[in-house]
Amino acid sequence: MAANYWASTQRRHWLFTREKLAEVRDKQREKDMVAHTQFPLPDQRMLNIYFSQQLTKLGKKTSTRQQALATAQIYIKRFYTKNEIRHTNPYLVLATAFYLACKMEECPQHIRLVVGEARSLWPDFIAPDVSKVGECEFFLISEMSSQMIVHHPYRTLTELQRELALTSDEVALAWSVINDHYLTDLPLLHAPHVIAVMAIIVAVVFKPSQAGFHGSAAPALAGAMRDGGVNMLTALNDKNGGGPPPRVQKLIGWLAESEVDIHAVVECTQELVSLYEVWEQYSEKNCKELLSRMVRTQRLDK
Amino acid sequence: MVIVLSIMFNRNFPLFNSFGGFYPQSIDTRRPAGTGYTSKVRVRDKYHIVGFISSGTYGRVYKALAKDGRRGEFAIKKFKPEKEGEVIQYTGLSQSAIREMSLCSELDHPNVVQLAEIILEDKCIFMVFEYTDHDLLQIIHHHTTPQRHAISAPMVRSILFQLLNGLYYLHTNWVLHRDLKPANILVTSSGAIRIGDLGLARLFYKPLNSLFSGDKVVVTIWYRAPELLMGSRHYTPAVDLWAVGCIFAELLSLRPIFKGEEAKMDSKKTVPFQRNQMMRIIEIMGMPRKETWPGLVSMPEYSQLQSLALSRASSGHHFSRPPSLESWYTNCLKNGGYSSTSNIGTPGAEGLDLLSRLLEYDPTKRITAQEALEHPYFKEGGPVSADCFQGLEGRYPHRRVTQDDGDIRSGSLPGTKRSGLPDDSLLGRAAKRLKE
Repeated sequence: MAANYWASTQRRHWLFTREKLAEVRDKQREKDMVAHTQFPLPDQRMLNIYFSQQLTKLGKKTSTRQQALATAQIYIKRFYTKNEIRHTNPYLVLATAFYLACKMEECPQHIRLVVGEARSLWPDFIAPDVSKVGECEFFLISEMSSQMIVHHPYRTLTELQRELALTSDEVALAWSVINDHYLTDLPLLHAPHVIAVMAIIVAVVFKPSQAGFHGSAAPALAGAMRDGGVNMLTALNDKNGGGPPPRVQKLIGWLAESEVDIHAVVECTQELVSLYEVWEQYSEKNCKELLSRMVRTQRLDK
Repeated sequence: MVIVLSIMFNRNFPLFNSFGGFYPQSIDTRRPAGTGYTSKVRVRDKYHIVGFISSGTYGRVYKALAKDGRRGEFAIKKFKPEKEGEVIQYTGLSQSAIREMSLCSELDHPNVVQLAEIILEDKCIFMVFEYTDHDLLQIIHHHTTPQRHAISAPMVRSILFQLLNGLYYLHTNWVLHRDLKPANILVTSSGAIRIGDLGLARLFYKPLNSLFSGDKVVVTIWYRAPELLMGSRHYTPAVDLWAVGCIFAELLSLRPIFKGEEAKMDSKKTVPFQRNQMMRIIEIMGMPRKETWPGLVSMPEYSQLQSLALSRASSGHHFSRPPSLESWYTNCLKNGGYSSTSNIGTPGAEGLDLLSRLLEYDPTKRITAQEALEHPYFKEGGPVSADCFQGLEGRYPHRRVTQDDGDIRSGSLPGTKRSGLPDDSLLGRAAKRLKE
């Protein structure tokens, strides 16, 4: 449970195969084909980037720690595996997931404060009445079957920091890679320690030249990973290859001895590469407009 | 209207799926505006309420049977909704409810209360647990009426072992219970112990905020560990082990071992030094000393303790026999009529040793749940039964269930919060106090 990911509800109920996840989402779409045609939305990852940026704004206003934002992002993902986004007011879901995650991560914010800040960020979509968030909280918890304890890769990263003798730069980069993985489906597809190992590998292999990451690792990594990604993946798979530098070699050695699923790690890396590619096309304006139209036309904000 | 409804259903758009206002209000006349969430499951459809068990500040507990053929009985804990005027509003769930819901959904152990499901309906939370016939408070009470008769030594041993076993599970999963007391230790009719009421429990793995800043006061006063009484900001699983020690002593003597009077919070909601409670502990355990508890001097209430020591000395306490747990224990066994000849009839010297390790002042030296399970008290004198009633002839009376309030949905609720226990709305103030 809480210390034991293997017995956790996260592993038992919120871990999907790619096929299963696609099936779940198809089911949502089939529920309302009309709305899907009527209200096109950007790629899920684009929406995730948008949601994450909005949550970060809310988090900044309330000085909330990253882990609570990460938990909120997981709640949003879980919720939308059970509900068609086109039937919801995503801004209300965002604010509520944030409010609930803060309580769960033991850094609670008063509901009035959350509603107030959310309203100042998205005045057109959040009602002044706190009962909307209170009601949406019931909805979120119910859809998640009260399974609200989330295991994050940050913990594994912290635990492996010493064992793998990671530098603070590497930890910072790995940390921001973990931040980025919430923009993908990876949290629903892989165990947190697999994500953490992926983040460490990426950080060690693509040690970026520029220091100081804030939030995302995308700017520093996107190019490097695209250019060097193939080499790294080869290196990981080819344990006898003489190519990689000693530091990477050492990491590969550790990986081989650990029981981490290397194929899963490779898959996660590819997912991240593809996220950074998609990101280049990201337009906040586009997300905002499409969501606005979807919410307003259907009067989901009322 | 028929047409509109059929469109709704063609689109397969479930009613509960709206956050309100999606349908023009004129169509949806059955529900008031703004109620978007409707539970898919209704308590009264799934459960038959047999009677009312108890009420607390959180709400009420009902006894129920399943309507869908599931065997067994259930205890449904209904959290009271908050009222604004006459109308019940969604006001956001308390952190305590969130903790209990999330932890109970996650935990799974034979010595921890079993959750069947949680239903969120009509702005209320219904947590459905397995029903337990007894709890330790009730069992202790049974042994004091009409006259006192001690709980048998093997039964005490089985209770304590199961309690520690459940606690070990909680602690290895980074869960602090923080409110262990006889009333929260449930006992099934087959003698299994279940740790209940996780309303104060929380995870303690690398908390984002210090534990103190979240809840200033934890654990019912009689079971509160000395480091908490001394105002410690950071506390550990050891607080639960102190409470186990108090429960162990109470099972043997049938009275709370440290029955202090709680000093209430003043109007400024500052937490007072619990002088009387500390006195009760000192009367049996002796004065805590910095030689054996080095952390003592850095405790916020250390000066209070020193003044307490001075007043004790001046009131002539030093003339009386020095306090000792051993004499308390010897007395207790004698009064309880525990056999002094047979090993099975008495908790014996091993029991005293375990008790003294549980009631160790210094939390860093206090025995852990894991160590306690390995203690000779459990190793010697035959196997520990998983049924604490094993070998007993009489039966304990069942929990009282009253009929006066059969309607789970409409019962009026007490309006007070748990007295003296945490109120997360104090968080801001607590943080401010810490800064000052």
